[in-house]
Amino acid sequence: MRWEVFRQAKRGDYHKHCGDVHAPDREMATLFAQIQHGRRMTTESLWVVPSEEVTEIDADDTAFGGRTDKAYRWATAYNVDASFAQEVADSEEEQAEVEQSRGDD
Amino acid sequence: MAPLRALADLDDEERAAAESLLFRLADDEFVIAERYTEWQVVAPTLESDLALSNIAQDELGHARVWFDALGELGYSERDLVWERDPGAFRHSTLVELPFAEGDWADPILRGYLYDVAEDLRLDAVAGSDVRELVDPVEKIRSEEEYHLEHAQNWLERLCDDDAGRERVQSAADRLVPHALTLWVPGPAASAIDSSGLRGESLDATRRQWLDTVASFLESLGLTVPLDPGDDPTESLPDSVGSDGNHTDHWPRLHDELTETYRELGRSDVRRLRGEGT
Repeated sequence: MRWEVFRQAKRGDYHKHCGDVHAPDREMATLFAQIQHGRRMTTESLWVVPSEEVTEIDADDTAFGGRTDKAYRWATAYNVDASFAQEVADSEEEQAEVEQSRGDD
Repeated sequence: MAPLRALADLDDEERAAAESLLFRLADDEFVIAERYTEWQVVAPTLESDLALSNIAQDELGHARVWFDALGELGYSERDLVWERDPGAFRHSTLVELPFAEGDWADPILRGYLYDVAEDLRLDAVAGSDVRELVDPVEKIRSEEEYHLEHAQNWLERLCDDDAGRERVQSAADRLVPHALTLWVPGPAASAIDSSGLRGESLDATRRQWLDTVASFLESLGLTVPLDPGDDPTESLPDSVGSDGNHTDHWPRLHDELTETYRELGRSDVRRLRGEGT
């Protein structure tokens, strides 16, 4: 049986998928995951999940948004002087990067 | 609690006792690690392979701890490992025996018998008043918890059906007498106790070991070929190892593990960067 392993490097981080282990049951899976995915890096926590419990949504299903003009949703579509607060500037920058990577205009 | 003493501050008699204790601790760790590595690449699954290899590395690390303590007493790595006469090794026969070929029950049960013993040994040296014995215990124990859990989880699963349980039983019949050699007192036994090098006598530790091992194995439907009241000396194998009398398997293993050193014509060993820190 296959188990997916998610690793959190430090408290507050997201758990990120880092690989899988084969094990007959949950207890053995955690034992093997510890060795394979926890031992060599600082690890705050591991999630070990039966692979079959992971539901996949593929690219066709995730492409539902962004097909019509929704420029009003983008912070970058507005002329705001963001210099008054660093977090607003950061957020705008982040938004611009996302738009670029999505290929939006 | 009284402040801890340093190994270097022991008098001659205490020093000899400490050496004798340390050689047994170190050699058992070193040799069982060497044996475990034989399962690399051939364990039942990739995962079990990695787990056992990691355990082998841990045990080598523990051997290093005790060898380093012997280093404080003037021994070099060359004297301790690479050029030591095989007859001067003080490990028990439990750790030197080859594994029954292809039988996963063997390393698992052997690991269990050894890890319970190691745990109790750590308790005993943690109760000493010598810094080099007490200080490493916590670090070693944190790794030992995994080893015990690993062995117990596997044993529970191997004993889940009749065929598996029979294999474990036959490993127990073969290995328990050898595990008893871990508790055979050497000539320094009473000096070790009177010098305060361990908080618990060898005899008391053996009784605890047998209680723990027997109650766990019996809970899995196995029988332990020995009762707590039995005289353990009657169940011992012909060679006990810790007195320097080993089985024929040991010189062969020693030859193998020192082969590269000899082949390369080495006369000393260099420490890797970061080692011993």
